[in-house]
Amino acid sequence: MTLPPRLRKLVLTAHVTFAVGWLGAVAAFLPLAVVGVTSQDAQLVRSVYMAMDLIARFVIVPLSFAPLLTGPLLSLGTPWGLFRHYWIVAKLLITILSTIILQVHMRPISYLAEVAAKTTLSGAELHGMQIQMLVASAAALLALIVTTALGVYKPKGMTPYGWRKQYEQRRVSPAVDVAT
Amino acid sequence: MSQTRVKPDHGSPPSIPRWVKASAIVVIVLVLLFVILHLSGNDFGPAMHKMSFSSIELGVQPL
Repeated sequence: MTLPPRLRKLVLTAHVTFAVGWLGAVAAFLPLAVVGVTSQDAQLVRSVYMAMDLIARFVIVPLSFAPLLTGPLLSLGTPWGLFRHYWIVAKLLITILSTIILQVHMRPISYLAEVAAKTTLSGAELHGMQIQMLVASAAALLALIVTTALGVYKPKGMTPYGWRKQYEQRRVSPAVDVAT
Repeated sequence: MSQTRVKPDHGSPPSIPRWVKASAIVVIVLVLLFVILHLSGNDFGPAMHKMSFSSIELGVQPL
């Protein structure tokens, strides 16, 4: 199935918007996590965790699911395919893993926000969670920068499946590779 | 004069690119590091996610 050019551009625009929006939201989340761990101002720390919960729930989570729809749609609707090139497989795996890890971290984010809404945050367990938020958001930012770079550079490398498909297509239509 | 010629097939799929191998090694090292951190007691991950709210409240200072 090949997408018509107009629809392909629409899906591409949506995909880039969602993917870069996700990266931007995580980039906004990270400094909040840093302030949450380092600041001595109790009121500021409480506000930070409530803001982090809102950003995660209403921006990061929806934006993490959207590229999982637009990415495969775009790949399958173009000659690139979904499993023909290593860079596309790598992007897909990173996106799936990032989305799963994000879902796992939603619980501690909500806990921290819930505690912050009532009282000041202190104690070893909460400090551990705060550190965890910092590490997780830094790792997520790195992963999303990698996926963006993969999408831009498109490093060479065809999977055995992609190679087989290309071979079959050449056998069906050898005129594609005619040299003059 | 044009000549019809199909690119030769080499009979076997291309080898895995170096960047894929390097990335796989990095991922394996990171996973091992994560597992070692867990086993050594530095709980950063899922165990912390399972923490009940009541246990968290133990560390809370009322305003």
